[in-house]
Amino acid sequence: MREFDYARADSPRQAVSTHGRSEQAAYLAGGTTLLDLVKIDIMRPDQVVDINRLDLNQIETLNDGRTRIGALVTNTALARDDRIKNEYAVLSEALLSGATTQLRNKATTAGNVMQRVRCPYFRDGVSSCNKREPGSGCAAIKGHNRSVHAVLGTSEQCIATHPSDMCVAMAAIGATVTVEGPDGQRDIGFLDFHLLPGDTPEREHALKPGELITHVTLDAPLENSRSGYLKLRDRASYQFALASSAVIVTLEGDTITNARVALGGVGTKPWRALEAEKALKGQKIGEASFTHAAGIAFKGATPYAHNAFKIPLGQQAIVRNLTTLTAQEDRRTS
Amino acid sequence: MSDHHNNEGLGVETFDARSPSRRRFLKTMGASSLAAATAPAWAQIAQAGQQQKEPVEPRDDGAPAEGEQQIQLTVNGVAHTLNVKPNAVLLDVLRDRLMLTGTKKGCDQGQCGACTLLVNDTAINSCLSLAVSHDGDEITTIEGLSQGDELHPVQVAFWAHDAYQCGYCTSGQIMSAVAILNDDNIGSDDASVREAMSGNICRCGAYKNILAAVQDARGKMEGAS
Amino acid sequence: MSDSIIGAGPKRIDGQRKVTGAAPYAADHHPDNMAYGYGVFSTIARGTVTGLDLDAARQSPGVIDIFHHDHFPELHRSPSSMAQGNKVEETRLPFEDNQVHYEGQFVALVVADTFENARAAARKVGVSYQRDDNAIANLDQGVKAHGTQKGQGNHERGDAAGNFDGAAHSIDVTYTTPVENHNPMEMHASVASWEGDRLTIFESSQGVVQQRGALSKIFGIPQEHIRVESPFIGSGFGSKLWMWPHAVAVSAAAREIGRPVQLVVPRQQMFTTTGHRPETRQRMRLATDERGRLVSLRHESINTTSFTDQYVETCGSVTKSLYSCPNLLVSHETTRVNRGTPTSMRAPGAAPGLFALESAIDEMALAAGVDPLEFRMNNYATRDESQDLDFSSNHIREATEKAAEKFGWQDRNPEVGSMRDGHEIIGYGMAACNWEAIKRECEARVSLRADGTAYVTCATQDIGTGTYTIIAQTVSELTGLPLEKITVRLGDTSYPKGPISGGSWTTATTLPAIAAATREAIKELKGYATGEKGDFAGVDSDSDSLTFENGQLTHDGQSVDYVDVLKGQKLASADGHAHTQGADDKYSYRSFGAHFVEVRWDPGISNLRVSRVVSAIDVGRVINSMTARNQVEGAIVMGLGMAHFEATEYDARNGRPVNNNYAEYVVPVHADQPPEVDVILLDYPDLAFNEFGARGIGEIGITGMAAAVANAVYHATGKRIRDLPIFKEKLMENVPEVQSA
Repeated sequence: MREFDYARADSPRQAVSTHGRSEQAAYLAGGTTLLDLVKIDIMRPDQVVDINRLDLNQIETLNDGRTRIGALVTNTALARDDRIKNEYAVLSEALLSGATTQLRNKATTAGNVMQRVRCPYFRDGVSSCNKREPGSGCAAIKGHNRSVHAVLGTSEQCIATHPSDMCVAMAAIGATVTVEGPDGQRDIGFLDFHLLPGDTPEREHALKPGELITHVTLDAPLENSRSGYLKLRDRASYQFALASSAVIVTLEGDTITNARVALGGVGTKPWRALEAEKALKGQKIGEASFTHAAGIAFKGATPYAHNAFKIPLGQQAIVRNLTTLTAQEDRRTS
Repeated sequence: MSDHHNNEGLGVETFDARSPSRRRFLKTMGASSLAAATAPAWAQIAQAGQQQKEPVEPRDDGAPAEGEQQIQLTVNGVAHTLNVKPNAVLLDVLRDRLMLTGTKKGCDQGQCGACTLLVNDTAINSCLSLAVSHDGDEITTIEGLSQGDELHPVQVAFWAHDAYQCGYCTSGQIMSAVAILNDDNIGSDDASVREAMSGNICRCGAYKNILAAVQDARGKMEGAS
Repeated sequence: MSDSIIGAGPKRIDGQRKVTGAAPYAADHHPDNMAYGYGVFSTIARGTVTGLDLDAARQSPGVIDIFHHDHFPELHRSPSSMAQGNKVEETRLPFEDNQVHYEGQFVALVVADTFENARAAARKVGVSYQRDDNAIANLDQGVKAHGTQKGQGNHERGDAAGNFDGAAHSIDVTYTTPVENHNPMEMHASVASWEGDRLTIFESSQGVVQQRGALSKIFGIPQEHIRVESPFIGSGFGSKLWMWPHAVAVSAAAREIGRPVQLVVPRQQMFTTTGHRPETRQRMRLATDERGRLVSLRHESINTTSFTDQYVETCGSVTKSLYSCPNLLVSHETTRVNRGTPTSMRAPGAAPGLFALESAIDEMALAAGVDPLEFRMNNYATRDESQDLDFSSNHIREATEKAAEKFGWQDRNPEVGSMRDGHEIIGYGMAACNWEAIKRECEARVSLRADGTAYVTCATQDIGTGTYTIIAQTVSELTGLPLEKITVRLGDTSYPKGPISGGSWTTATTLPAIAAATREAIKELKGYATGEKGDFAGVDSDSDSLTFENGQLTHDGQSVDYVDVLKGQKLASADGHAHTQGADDKYSYRSFGAHFVEVRWDPGISNLRVSRVVSAIDVGRVINSMTARNQVEGAIVMGLGMAHFEATEYDARNGRPVNNNYAEYVVPVHADQPPEVDVILLDYPDLAFNEFGARGIGEIGITGMAAAVANAVYHATGKRIRDLPIFKEKLMENVPEVQSA
């Protein structure tokens, strides 16, 4: 790692003021993304602001039924929190499907939101990559693009997937990201937080320079919903999703009254499949309606040379998840 | 279970490598595991590639130089005052400064688990940790698990079950196993253990024996409590 | 021999060091005043380094020196001869010139006071290149651009072509396997120190003697001035058999700066500059008669090699002799690509070769309408037809039958996709395994010491297979000393010359030397005892009536502890040195076995998993039942990875490795371990091979595994995957077609 200055912050305000608006400063939480990328010289901060001592470790239920998660709550702590397990099973399962025991012990909620892409052409430091070096091109589009490249939300400039599982669950649940920055505090809707690559793949999220995530607040759980996360990959653990689905459904008898579907491993951002949700609402449970909705979720998907299989695989992730959830009586939450 | 626990005359109190006031992860060993754990003298001389390591003495670097930060690390119960540069990695500081080389570097990117150790009783990848971030933390490495010839039940079980081949991932496997066995949130069935241990790659593929060792150690640790 | 320690399963004598973190691996060594190296690696696969901008790196904290092609001592190449004991795989020296032959090649080496300072400075080195856009990225491109070169290990008997056309049943199919990387947990590492013109290097090495020989040639100094130590290694699987450029670079750097230097090869460059299993393309043409007897067998393979060296993956090595067939052709060719030089990876040749052969045998059996197990039983060779020799010992039929019975092969419904369990379709598959048994010359020294211990030295290595322990078992067997009284030291060129730890040679090569040295020590002891000051003065020391058992010399009913013999004469030890020879050529010495695999394919989520493995292995006598079983179980896991996950991918446009890390190069983790793995060790001593009847066990377990999985996958899905690994998309329906770039 190149040299950098290090400062430990005692309050969010102090963290923000130490960081300033510099593009060359970085907040350090769990470090599982930042230090990895600094070691391979992809990120080169000259100032690291350690926020680990900030008092942002709480999970709180708000009066309006939402759940507020401190930025520094670890993935482990969040996954095993009783409220999360009971009311947001999809989130607990998504977290536990990600990374490993010891990485989840370090990785934080805010850090997970801020994960960066796994595209090898981004990480190698030399290939054309519009994210790393705007205007240089995208080596992945016509290169090797099997496992960490998207079929949804891609552009001519970038096709890398967002690697998080947690964020996929949050996209399904609905959430608000609270940030503190040089211009004060503000909220960002979760679905607006991550940006599509479009023509500016170097812009990955809605944060302005110097802004620090302090909380992620989950929407109140859908009443009488059941939810689950299904992750598909090559090996059985410790791998980023090839395709995954976060599904939340409510039923009345055999009829789906509400549904939330989000996808991982296939999109350039945590992918909310709103059209598929619409297609499910009011339908009878069963393979026909699930398959139909899954097809809609991938309408307009763009396959590349090595990842075309993600289109059927992602649909399978939706169908099986729905099938399992709607077959199980004991998964009903709240 | 109490942190320190006597087992009706037969057992032995487990050591506490760190502050005795902390909740201890290490549970009491029974008499039978103690017998197996007591290393014969020959083990100290067999295959020596170098001398047995000297006990780690507390280290005090004095005043930090420019660009360095002073930190306190309590490693295996020994308090050190160290001056480190901000970009120094915890794993490298342990290995290259404190000469605690039992913790291994397998990828330096959080992709293999060989560097797993306990920080404040929680298993983490030390390769993705800045030393300076751990100022004031209590760290347990593989060297702190056993005390002299007295092996931890997980170490005993790894030895007995041949739960390694080359031994390079072993420190990380053992540290993960210790953390998992003391974590009530992780199921005790084989599938749960396999999933929870999946952050520790063993390229030799000794997974079957590692699982057997972890489950055997569970019995030993529970049997003593 | 039921109470013999040979064949028992004592736990490892080095186990305590491994479970306490006390076992010293290469990078654990910190000689005083040690500096750290970090490499700068090429970012093009073919071309020329045209300039180096070192200003920023030189000003970086702690930097001592930066080496590169214009600043590196003049060295010599090693002749790279295994017979001379100086083999290297990549013969080109680091920084020899400004040419780049593969991406991830050393182009500079930064040396600094700490690891982090060295790495930070390395990031600041600017390298300019003249890129050659004709980089050859893969086998197909190599064949198209330059064709192939002939390799070695070819074989022909009868008329394979003439007996193919017109045969009752035949198949003509081509299999491909990708580049695989060994990925041992320990990254390659060296710590080099000089005292005057004497070099000591701690290396993660599977062959300290060969490395010493190579360093001697490269630095032009006597072997006696070089000490290579590798007491513990974080495994190698072949990648650490022969020295790679990093060890030359760090040795030179240490001499130039006058300080010890440590260099660890980063994980990314473990995919580029320390060898790999090359890509292969294998054409299989098989034919049988009406009854399903093989009448023609051709196995023609091409593998990739580098532009600097010729490495042949002998895919047809097993094909020559596993099955009986009068008309047979095995040929090996290579083609050059812009990758680093390949090297042996666990069961070289046989691992990819048996994927092709044992898949093809399955296809042939189907084409002939015969059950694959029965087909093999009908066609297994009873003697080595390639060498016209009997096998020293071959129990492949019993291995196949025993494993089949335990596995429950008779319950297999041969109809594809017919066995189901909930969402999952179950497939059963099998394959034979096979590996040559090799025994080379070896030296060893054993001392029986007056303190009641034995001290054993041999410059072989324990790479995790249990060599320390089986050597101690051997000495214990011959002396009666308990294991805890026996000290074994390996992995140091200051000991008598031992073999590389590879190819499953070590057990068969080392134990006879250990035994012979032990007997020499006992003989010397008897000489002391029968000398004029001895307890048995006047007795003929060669007499059968003077025995040595359980540490006691006995003659005519009178026993004396050997310690007392030595102490009585104020002697420190009785010593034996032995130099044993390699195997004879009276027989074909090979190991055999069979894998039976159950896979489960869930078509609803396109998930494939290996759920059950039963393997029966015939490796002669097993010396340590616990470590031997572990070897086979571990090889099964690696074979599962080969079948299912592992492939190093290169960008077809420029030869750039794209998944050269431990996250994206997928190896099995704990959760991939099949819930049931059952290894049967037949344990028939092969006494024609050596006195212990042991043939070695490291490789055989991986051979055939990928084919057994592929055959089971066919049984479950009806899809014959001839291109490893068996990624899910190869089994999926409705994958959209995409025009390749």
